[in-house]
Amino acid sequence: MSEILFYLGAVMITIGGICDLFGALGLLKFPNFYIRLHAATVGTIGGAVVPLFGVGFLALGADFLPHKYAIAGASFVTGIIVLLAAPAGSHALAYAAHKTKIVKWEPKCDHLEVEE
Amino acid sequence: MNLENSFFLLMKFVIPVYLLAFIIYAIRAFKGPTIVDIILAVDCMSFDIAAFMAILAIYFKSAFLISGAITLALWAYLLDIYIAKHLVGKEVGV
Repeated sequence: MSEILFYLGAVMITIGGICDLFGALGLLKFPNFYIRLHAATVGTIGGAVVPLFGVGFLALGADFLPHKYAIAGASFVTGIIVLLAAPAGSHALAYAAHKTKIVKWEPKCDHLEVEE
Repeated sequence: MNLENSFFLLMKFVIPVYLLAFIIYAIRAFKGPTIVDIILAVDCMSFDIAAFMAILAIYFKSAFLISGAITLALWAYLLDIYIAKHLVGKEVGV
């Protein structure tokens, strides 16, 4: 049983690393802020939540690890915190960016356009 | 196949990938034209550093790094909220 958990965690950490790399490349290459939010979501959820759950499973399966239940529990808690905090934070950022019109972009049609 | 050896083999692959991602986030943080770009890059980077701290907690076999990861994840969220509040209302509510 511990082998399965260990390798499940290892696969999740590898997936997390690759998602993190794609998120970073997306953040670098996308034209403006609003499109970069897509890459930010890939970078945070795929690159942080998935590896954190992977560390949780890997810690449960690892027999060589002291305090393994503490590490597994704390990493699951951190994964849930990041799962809740990341979208809320980037949503607040997007609201602030749109309200103050910092981002130079030429939209086809801006549904949130507010005529001051 | 001893679990510990396979874990160290995994680390040989995962740690460079994470460090490369951090460098690319840092490039966007320095290059970012607007404030919100910089904050978005720093936000993503700190969430991923929190995940990387969790991986290092197993690598160094110590349970203390994970508590730092929780704090860093909450701090990254706080950064977003403060910057958003400051940009919109010029006040942070402190």
